[in-house]
Amino acid sequence: MRYGAGPEVVRDVTFALPPASFHFLTGPSGAGKSSLLRLMYLANRPSRGVVSLFGEDVSKIPRRMLPELRRSIGVVFQDFRLLDHQSVFDNVALPLRVAGGKESQIRKHVSELLQWVGLEDALDSLPSTLSGGEQQRVAIARAVIGRPRLLLADEPTGNVDDAIAVRLLYLFEELNRMGTSIVIATHNEALVSRFKHRQLHLERGEIELRQPGMDGSDDPAA
Amino acid sequence: MILQHSDLPLTNDPAVRILPWVVGLMVYLATLTLAVALLVSTLAADWSAGLTGTVTIHIVAASDETEAEMDRRVEAAIREALKTTGVEEASAIPLSQVAKLLAPWLGDEAPIADLPLPRIVDVKLSEDADLDIDGLRARLENAVPGAALDDHQLWRDRLVRFLLAIQIVAGVMVALIGTTTVTVVVFATRAGLAVHNEVIEVLHMIGAHDEYVAGQFQSNALMLGLKGGVSGSIAGIATLLAIKSTAGQLDVELLPTLLFQYWHWPVLASLPFAAAYIVRFSARYTVLQALRRMP
Repeated sequence: MRYGAGPEVVRDVTFALPPASFHFLTGPSGAGKSSLLRLMYLANRPSRGVVSLFGEDVSKIPRRMLPELRRSIGVVFQDFRLLDHQSVFDNVALPLRVAGGKESQIRKHVSELLQWVGLEDALDSLPSTLSGGEQQRVAIARAVIGRPRLLLADEPTGNVDDAIAVRLLYLFEELNRMGTSIVIATHNEALVSRFKHRQLHLERGEIELRQPGMDGSDDPAA
Repeated sequence: MILQHSDLPLTNDPAVRILPWVVGLMVYLATLTLAVALLVSTLAADWSAGLTGTVTIHIVAASDETEAEMDRRVEAAIREALKTTGVEEASAIPLSQVAKLLAPWLGDEAPIADLPLPRIVDVKLSEDADLDIDGLRARLENAVPGAALDDHQLWRDRLVRFLLAIQIVAGVMVALIGTTTVTVVVFATRAGLAVHNEVIEVLHMIGAHDEYVAGQFQSNALMLGLKGGVSGSIAGIATLLAIKSTAGQLDVELLPTLLFQYWHWPVLASLPFAAAYIVRFSARYTVLQALRRMP
């Protein structure tokens, strides 16, 4: 993958994610973690190679069908990307409204989810009035409200302290137990070693699969 | 759908805020231009109807001719006209009325009686008359020296060409006004797209169809277009009424009466709605074109 006419930022990367799996995506800064995630949440198309999602080659899916595919993917952006002019409730409700959900059901689901992430008292608050950790939880709630089959999170613990980071990881694990595949791009080595999940380690354009507790490489998941 | 839940804070965009002003101005200009086109169309029909079904006999005054001799020539011309198949009525236009027609050039105090004014006979034709113009002209020239027949064809042709030219110019102006409006909307929408690029990308990533995003822009554009358009229309119609009222106070025969037909007003009043839908369509098209370039 390349941006415009620039150099390839991710190349010759081959891996597969089993359903309901949990992976950390690790690697040094500039290794291409965010770019790889952008390919996975269809923000960019590969300049060469194949991206398959849920068994379908993305390049063969007509553009008008991509929104439905994207609704199966939850994304937690590194910078949250909350809509600052909308309340917490409206931010979390956004994916359901985009999908044409009924307002009565939206109200019920969003309220339940905000309770789950501990933000039931911030329904009407604007994101700018919340702390970094709270904004992070709003972003996560927005990513999971549509019950995605795949959740991609780009440095979701980058702006919060360790206690909140651990709590967020528990949220992801709970979601994973309900059947969602999770990929979390992170620099946080302590977090990665604490939660025993497989790692996709990206470095110098190559990816290797590391099993929980292993420092070295393992067989790449092809 | 006019009102739609909006995820984009479009109402705060500076580029979008000028839209009602631009649309208002454009609708104002379009209202005046269209009014001119409609008036010209009505005048053309009115004048043409006035000239159709009549012909005029001019009898040039001869030097040293007495009034009695002139009256005899006029009566001869009337008799000759009434003998012709298709002529319903023929009557001389009184000198006082001729003087009134000439007043704008000669003034009210002109010594009309001393001037060798031509006499005019107004000949009314029956409906669907198939008048032998050339035959009547030849008979008149034989029977009444100095008489000439005018069937208004030349005047009517020139008038129609002139009015057609005015209508074409008005049409071109309306088209230019529309093009300018569309251009402004396209640039304002593009500016809005640039300002809200990040939010649009978020909407895109969470599965929003292009139509969902375009719907928010078009809904906002429609409201702004209506707001500006209705204001411009009210100002335009008020201007027309003021001109009509002012023109009505002038007692000038040459100034054509501003003849608005009852159906002109709904046509003029529909302009802001047409403009609002042009604005809405332009915004939608611009957004959809831009979004198609996204993955």
